[in-house]
Amino acid sequence: MSKLTEKHNYKGTLVCVEGIDGSGKSTQLALLRDWLKSTGQDVIFTEWNSSELISQTTKLAKKKNMLSPRTFSLLHAVDFADRLKQVIDPALKAGFIVLADRYAYTAFARDVARGVDPQWVRNVYNFAIKPDLAIYFDIEAKDAMERICSNRAPKFYEAGMDLKLSNDPYESYMIFQGRVIKEYQKMVDEFGLVKLDAMDSIHSKQVAIREMLKEVLQNKGV
Amino acid sequence: MTDKHKGLLIVIEGTDGSGKSTQLELLKKYIQAQSYGVMVSEWKTSRLIANVIDDAKDRNLLNATTYSLLYAADFADRLENQIIPALKSGFIVLLDRYYYTALARDVVRGQDIEWVKNLYDYAPEPDLVFYLDMPVDVLLKRIIGTTGLDFYESGRDVGFSTDFYKSFEIYQKKCLEQYNWMKSEYNFKSIDGTLPIKTIHNIMSDKVQEILDTGILY
Repeated sequence: MSKLTEKHNYKGTLVCVEGIDGSGKSTQLALLRDWLKSTGQDVIFTEWNSSELISQTTKLAKKKNMLSPRTFSLLHAVDFADRLKQVIDPALKAGFIVLADRYAYTAFARDVARGVDPQWVRNVYNFAIKPDLAIYFDIEAKDAMERICSNRAPKFYEAGMDLKLSNDPYESYMIFQGRVIKEYQKMVDEFGLVKLDAMDSIHSKQVAIREMLKEVLQNKGV
Repeated sequence: MTDKHKGLLIVIEGTDGSGKSTQLELLKKYIQAQSYGVMVSEWKTSRLIANVIDDAKDRNLLNATTYSLLYAADFADRLENQIIPALKSGFIVLLDRYYYTALARDVVRGQDIEWVKNLYDYAPEPDLVFYLDMPVDVLLKRIIGTTGLDFYESGRDVGFSTDFYKSFEIYQKKCLEQYNWMKSEYNFKSIDGTLPIKTIHNIMSDKVQEILDTGILY
């Protein structure tokens, strides 16, 4: 049985944001963090692929385009497991609000879009703690591409170039991120992700997020 | 699964100090002498991840979950980049350890066996698995007499005991229990590891010869 579907009993609160690059999730999380800090809350922030243990290796391997979909998946799982045990779990026990920029759902979306079996990758991550609030920023691939590619071409893995969908990085990006978005949309029901429209204004999204978080904290008696 | 490939997948399993590398070397020479293509791959040797594991072990950075996942990543990298391509092109692939090693070690570290099995569920079943069966007391002496007690191979990370020898003994015993269970579950060809090197080699080469004589690689 997966921990991802069972409510946790920690004192702390786990919030994660999900969505493809360019969906505005990091901006929203930064605003949320600053606000929580200003109100005197104990907040900890953790982001995807940032563990001391493995993130440099993964980045290097990505640069060299060395990764198969399965090693790609497993290396990110190592990163996640390391942060979960070193950062997230202790902070939740100590009563922190943990803000995670991307969570296990990122793996479910990207790895499955790469052809990894959906159940396999869910089993790999079955030790992940269920977030109290998981927000998904829904955006169309072409809108995200406009945002992130205004000053650069899509990156190799970001465009799913490893899948050889197209020789054109822009076209490949559209196909690949389209698949990722589809996987995210399926997870709205499967894991109860809260969907926000990424094209809404920064302000209206932040208002919505704060409202939801307040409710979560109230229900926990914080 | 291997019938999709043209080659042969042969594994030698056993705990540390059971004589796997020696036998692998002998078997490789035996097969080479008959003009077959042979490739050897050892546990934890992927160009991508092996040194990360070594480094993390040196600095005691690993918990049971990252330990499992890193080895699984190493395995995936070797399987997809070396082993499968070699099998497809008709090589005999000799492996020093296979995912049975992970099953034994990870379960001893407290991981759920179904979780570990899932990590490796895409790996092709070998055509032949030799298991070098060693009584624990002989094994302990051999390891202490050669490589000495290593932190992780003594299971010190699991916290069985603060006493180095005690921890080592408990860990190796628990690994052996796992192997014993797998012997029948995975159809290991179990060989008494205390037999002379030459005798063990003859048993292995006879078994391999049987397969070669079927003309499967012609």
